[in-house]
Parts: sequence; C-alpha cells; structure tokens
Amino acid sequence: MGLGTYVRNIRETLETIFEGMAITASHFVRKPFTIQYPDRTEIRVQDSLPFRYRGLLDVDLEICTGCLACERACPIDCIVIDAEKDKQTKEMILKRFDIDLAKCMYCGLCSEPCPTGSIHHTPEFEGADYSLESLVRRFVKAPLVAYKPPKGPETDPEVAPILARGLRYLDEFASPGDPKAGE
Amino acid sequence: MSTHAIDVDVLRETGQGIATEEMTLNMGPQHPSTHGVLRFVVKADGEVMRRAIPDIGYLHRSIEKIAEKVGYHGFMPYTDRVDYVSAMQCNQGWAMACEALAGIKVPRRGEYCRVIASEFGRLASHLLSVGATGMDIGAVTPFTHAIREREYINDILEELCGARLTFNYMRIGGCAWDLPPGFVGRATKFLDRFEPLIDEYNELISFNKIYVERLANVAVIPREMAIAYNLVGPNLRGSGVKYDVRKDAPYSVYPEFEFDVPVGTGERGTLGDSYDRYMVRMREMKESCKILRQALAGIPEGPVVAKVPRTFRPPVGEAYVRVEASRGDMGWFVVSDGTAFPYRVHIRTGSFAAMAIIEELSKGLMIADLVAVIATLDIVAPEVDR
Amino acid sequence: MQQFADYLLDEGILAGLPKSLGYALVIAFFAFVLLNFIMLVAGVTSWLERRVWARIQSRVGPNRVGPQGAIQWLADGIKNIMKEDIVPTAADKPLFKAAPYLAMIGFFGAWACVPFGDGLIIADLNVGVLYITAVTGLVVVGILMAGWSSNNKWALLGGMRSAAQIVSYEIPAAIAVNAVIVLTGTLSMQGIIRAQGWAPWNWFLFDNPFTFVAFFIFFVALLAEGNRTPFDLPEAESELVAGAFTEYSGLRSLLFFLVEWGNLYIIGALCTSLFLGGWQTPHFTDNGFVLGLVQFVVFFLKSYFLVFVAMWIRATLPRVRVDQLMSLCWKYLVPISFVNLLGAMLWVVAFPHGFLPARLGMFLFGIMVTIYFLMRVAFHLRRARPEMSWNPIA
Repeated sequence: MGLGTYVRNIRETLETIFEGMAITASHFVRKPFTIQYPDRTEIRVQDSLPFRYRGLLDVDLEICTGCLACERACPIDCIVIDAEKDKQTKEMILKRFDIDLAKCMYCGLCSEPCPTGSIHHTPEFEGADYSLESLVRRFVKAPLVAYKPPKGPETDPEVAPILARGLRYLDEFASPGDPKAGE
Repeated sequence: MSTHAIDVDVLRETGQGIATEEMTLNMGPQHPSTHGVLRFVVKADGEVMRRAIPDIGYLHRSIEKIAEKVGYHGFMPYTDRVDYVSAMQCNQGWAMACEALAGIKVPRRGEYCRVIASEFGRLASHLLSVGATGMDIGAVTPFTHAIREREYINDILEELCGARLTFNYMRIGGCAWDLPPGFVGRATKFLDRFEPLIDEYNELISFNKIYVERLANVAVIPREMAIAYNLVGPNLRGSGVKYDVRKDAPYSVYPEFEFDVPVGTGERGTLGDSYDRYMVRMREMKESCKILRQALAGIPEGPVVAKVPRTFRPPVGEAYVRVEASRGDMGWFVVSDGTAFPYRVHIRTGSFAAMAIIEELSKGLMIADLVAVIATLDIVAPEVDR
Repeated sequence: MQQFADYLLDEGILAGLPKSLGYALVIAFFAFVLLNFIMLVAGVTSWLERRVWARIQSRVGPNRVGPQGAIQWLADGIKNIMKEDIVPTAADKPLFKAAPYLAMIGFFGAWACVPFGDGLIIADLNVGVLYITAVTGLVVVGILMAGWSSNNKWALLGGMRSAAQIVSYEIPAAIAVNAVIVLTGTLSMQGIIRAQGWAPWNWFLFDNPFTFVAFFIFFVALLAEGNRTPFDLPEAESELVAGAFTEYSGLRSLLFFLVEWGNLYIIGALCTSLFLGGWQTPHFTDNGFVLGLVQFVVFFLKSYFLVFVAMWIRATLPRVRVDQLMSLCWKYLVPISFVNLLGAMLWVVAFPHGFLPARLGMFLFGIMVTIYFLMRVAFHLRRARPEMSWNPIA
C-alpha cells in the first residue's frame, strides 16, 4: 500500500462520514412519518384507506341472488353456500352462507363475478380473534329467500339503497373515471 | 488490490496460521440476517469460513402443485406468494403464460397498466434489497429510509389494486382494474420526490467508505462463473453481463420505452463483487423511474382487460414465458391438457440459482461476509423453495 | 472526597467514630449515590438513544410510557428484572453467573475518577487517566468470560472479537492521551481540567493541531472500547445474533446493557475532561454552591453532547469487519497517534506556554468546519424537500 492510497483512504473515510452525518443531521428537522395506529391518528385508519382496499369480506344478504358465483371463484373454498330451490314457490332459499375468514386470503376473486355487488370487501382489517371457530362468519341466521332482480328498476325502499351501493361497488371497479384527473 | 478471501489451508501449510479445530456453525433458520428462513451450515476456522452449505426447503409450499388444483384464474393469488417481495412480476408471468397458451391479446392500456404496476413492484423490491443490505452491514438508518419510501409505493399500489403485498392485480388477458382517478398525478408526484432521495441514499450509505470496504472485492463472481451458475437479473448484470429480458427477449410494451440496462463496472474493486451487485440495483431504480415516467405520460385509452371466459380452458399445449422480475429472468412453464386445470406448472426463479453459488463463493470469506453475500445476492427465501 | 470524609470525622456527624469505619461509611454512601446516578444516566441514555435513532430514521420512537416515553427505560428495567434468569445447562455456570458482575465492576470502578465539578470527584488520583484506562479494561474480562462460558459458538466468537478489539484499541487511546499529558505534565483529571480555560480557544481540543487530531483518535478508540458502532462487533446483531450476550436473559443481560450505556457517559466525560475544558466556567459568582452547580451542569452538558454524537454516529455508520477493525487500529490509528505524539512534544518544546494565534486559528477552523457542515445539512434538506418539523419531540 503506497502512501497515496493511505492518504486517500483517510480522506475518503473522513469525507464520506462527514457527508453521511450531514444527511442524518438533516433528519432531525424532518417530520417523522410514523402513523401511530391505532389511537393517535387524525382519522380512523380504516377511513383513510382507498376505495379498492381489500379488507374483511362482507355480504349483503338482501341482494344476494344465491348464484354461487363467488363460491366457485374462490380458490381456497373458504365460502360455503347452501342454496336450494323451493319446489312450490320456485324461489331460491339460502340456508347457509359461511365465509371462513381464517382461510380467506383477501384476493378479491369472489367479489368480481358477483352480479349485484352483494359480496364485497370492507376497509375493516382488524380480524384478530381468540379461536378459529369465531372467525367463521355465518351470515345466514335463518333460511331466507334469495334476492331476485326485478325486470325494471328496484322499487323496494329497503333494498334499493343497498343494491345501489352494491352496483356502485361494481361500477367503480369497471370504470373508475379519468386517471389523469387531478386530486 | 487483491480480492478479499483467505485460504485457511494455505495459511496452515505455510505455517502462518494457528492450527485450530474446524467449527461447525448453524446459521439459521432463525438468524437475524437470513431473511425469511434460510439455513446455512457454516464450516468455519475461527472467523474465516471454509464453506457455507445452504440448506433449502424451509419454505416449500407446493405452489406448483397447487396450480394443478385451483385452475388458471384461481392460481393468480398464489403467484403473489412465489416472490412476495415483488409480486407484480409474478402476476405478470402467470398471466402471460396463460395468454400464450390460449393466444389472447392484451389491450394496449392493459399492457401499460401492467408495466406501471411491475415497475413500481421493482422499485419496492430493490428498495427492500438495498435497505436490507445496509442493515446486514450494520447500518440501521438506510433500512428505515428505504422502507419509508417502500411504504409510499405500497400506498400507490394499494390504491391501484387494494392490497399492499399480495396484489393479485393482473388477470388473464389484462389487469383487474383500471388506474384509479388521480393516479397519474400522484404517481408522478411520488417519482419527483423519490428520485432525489436515491442520490441522498447513495451519499448516506453507498459511498460510505466503511460500507464500500465491506462490499468491494467481497465474493467476486467473474463473468464466466455467473453464466455457468445460471445467475440472472441484477446478480448477473453485476458481473458485467448485459442481459435483461426486457431488452433481449422483449415482452409487453417494454420495447416502446427508452431505458438503459445498468451493469457492474468494478468501480470500487473487482468486476462482479458485492458492491457491483448492490450498485446495479441502485441504478436500476433510476431506470425504473424513467420507464414509469414514460408509461404514465403515454398511457393510451381503451379497455384494460380482454374478454376471457370465466371458465378458462386453453387448448392442449404448453407455453414458456419469461419476465424480468426483480430477481431476474423468471420463467413460467405451463402445460395444458385442455381441461380447466393446468396439467403441470413450473416456475424458474432467480434466487434458486443465487442460492447455489453461495457454497462456491463462501470459501475463505469471513462470517461477516456471508451476511453481505446473502444480502447482495438478494435471496428471498420463498422464491427459492416456492 | 477524602477531605469531606476527614471533615465529617473531625467535626461532622461522624465525629468520634474509628477512622477506618468512618471512611468505609462515607465510601459506601458515595458508592450508593453514584450507582443511582449511573442507573439514571444509563437509563435515560437508553431512552434518548432510541428517540434520537427514531428521529434520524423518520420514526417517533418510544413515546408511550410517561411523558414522551421518558420512563420507558424504567419499564424496560422492571420487565428485565422480572424475567426468568436462564442459565444454559451446558454453560460453565460459575463463570456464566459471574461475568456480568465482573463487567460491572470494571465499569463502575472507572467512575471513581470521573469528575463532575471543581472538587466534585470521588478520588482525584494523581494517576487518574491511567487508572480509568486500566480499570475499564476489566470490562473485557467480563465480556470474554460471558462469551466463553455461554457454551455457544456465536457467543464465543463475540467474546473473542471483544477481547481482540479492546486490547488493540487501548493503545491508540493511551498514546492519544499523551498528547495532552505532555502539555500539562499531570495525569490527574482535575489537574488536566484546571490547565484549560472556560473559553473554547483555551480548550486542549484547539490548543494546537496535534491535540485536535488526538481528540478524534481518542474518541474513535474509546468508541471501539465501548463496543459502539461502527465497532460493535462483539454484539454484531446481524452477524452473531447477540454476540457474547446471546445466552443471557433477565437481570444479567440488563447489567451488560447498563455497562454499555453507562460507558457511553464515561466516554463523554473523559473526552470532555481531557479536551473540552471539563467543568471550567467563568468565575461569575463567589457563591460556591451556585458555582459548583453551574460547573456540574456545564460538564454534564458537554459530556452528554458527546454521548449524543456517539448515538448519532451509531445511527449513521455501518459496522467494520474484524480484519478491517484490526487494520484500522494498527495501520492507521497507532502510527498516526505516534506521529501526532511526536508533533505534540515538539510543539511543547517550541511553545512551552502555548501559542495564542494557533489556538485562535484552530478555533476558527473548528467554526468553519461547523459552518460547512450546516451548509451541507441545508443542501440535503433543499434537495429532498421533506416535510419539516422543528419540534424536537414530534
């Protein structure tokens, strides 16, 4: 090792450490980026998530048609639906609609084929629980009649807003508007 | 300057070393710097390693077999788990393989969305890699700075596809969703902020003399050795081989963009040393920013996804596609027997090849160097085992 | 302290007691006070270090226990005391158990010669500097014992690294100190401080170019002795899991950390005493108590600034490798400090009573470096255009 290398090593060491220290010093006046979840945020973290956020699944049974599209789309079979056609009334009867959130991987493949937007992701993500059984969401408490879309627009005042929300969920995925638009 | 490696046997035979007992160290599967669950059986003579034998298989999840059970559409979320650090390119690889099977053409807007998502994924992956390298060398601050920027990228991708890690964004025939409103503006704003930070990051850690000394001349992979061991991606380019799937076997709309392929130059030591591999990643981030700016500016109108039937039954045949993932050339091989389920799927990943070279590289390095080697080869454990 | 003990024995509350018993009582009392002071300083240092790190890393750090997390260290300490004290079955049990105490003794002994103010010192030994250098060397025995007795290969590697490191870095530290000692002709801590003045250009740091270089060599060598980044090889989390302390849990592991953080203050206090003018303040009042208090505060702040610099360095630099550690010591620090000592000796021969223009020049140089540093900080802020926050606790 020549004297030139020796001196250059010392010089480089001092220079680069000096520069690095200047950068770290500049961070003393930069604002921290930490989000102090869950209690010290300005708004609930759930409310700050984007529309497409894939959180815990929810089902609006009022507009579920019992078409089983979600059950078929699910790659891990975490959705189990029992739907039977009533022989007399020719109506679909939903007897069971279970989602095992312990299995669910939040891929969103089930919400895509849903014709009414009944099964959809919510921005909720706090799913911790004490047992695996309690993670199975049983949506159908008692057998009920599946939704049958009418020919024209929905008139039932109780169902209409739910259906409107579900269809908007589908719409915003399909055509969300201009990505070049401003904030 | 000679490369840093100590031949224990030579020292012993020439009487320079002290005869000590060979020590077998078990590094991993639970060790702070074997990211994920890697395990190395290290044969060491004091601080000097005689060799480090990688032991793989701790993260094997039979992903290839799962593909045969869940069908073409249903496998897409699983591809996120092949390399969870840069899941977008895995998505793209699988989608492209299926499209090649069925001969589906992706709409141009869909391709642009894919490129945007992939390049953001590459940025996120490289940030984690360079940050973790700093962490393993003992500097804690660069890691958090890198993770801070990665969080912004995750925010952007979350807005795009609803998830931060396992994106499941792409579909056979295009992408699941179009860009959300205001996306282009926010992404450009991020790039404006991020690009100067790459320089800052370089000055904070990459040019630091201690850091350079820790990486330069360590674990040199000569050009021929890199090719012989089948290294791909930044590891291969670090050895001076200018090979990038985006340039050499172009796919998607990459030929429409102008970008360079950075290669190792041996600027601080020998060509192909750890520092070259590290710097290739730093420079690739700049190139990714370049691609992103072009893609965001020139995105065409139109649909993002082609019409693909819900029950996807490709004709009998096989397809092999390659994508340039963050860890290099990632190959997706799929055989169809005409049913709704693939007959066989195989994934060729970069980390697996990188894992194989460690035993050869580790001779004569110090234990502290093994950590640097793992970090600069950017080995992601799930990608090794699938 | 001896004067104080004599005073108590002659006319104070201890009058009438046998002299040796009186001395023992006074020593025990001061040891108790000092130990509590050390615990407090080490604890607060551990919390402050985490906050400083956090700020540099764009995080917030511990801010929940107490106001802004200020008693986080107490919570950590209580937690550690309540944890099970595990001794590995295959460990060399007596050595394993004794190791943290040995490290503690070496570290605690050094405090006897650390000054806090004019007259505020446990024992102003006439070989003070030598004593501190020697007694802190005992810490390495503790760490080496811990590494050996744990019966863990990672711990053994850590212990061996520590031994090699501390033994090597004693040498540049000792030679660098000599640059000051040739100026003062004394090894006593108080004597060295008294030879300086309150004004920065009267500090030995700016006395001449050689003491300026000696300060940095001394600081770097002490960082290495205190196992601080960039020389934290014995602990080396990413390489050796936790190095020599891998197998320790509960109170015993806490003692090692106490040594580490307490040592940091000793580093600061030593550098302050030898180079930064110690407790020297202008003699602005005749009230001995007020003057003593101000001196104590001044000394504490100076020392703590260096502790802060050590934290800051730790957040900036990566770790050196073992062979680089040795080459840095033997190829760079030792030769440079020898040349530096030679220069300092020649300087003393040339200017036996100091050379004011050189002092002012060095001081000016220091200011210029600081200004250039601030300009670089401003440059980085301009380039990154971050969100700013001048609030130190947010």
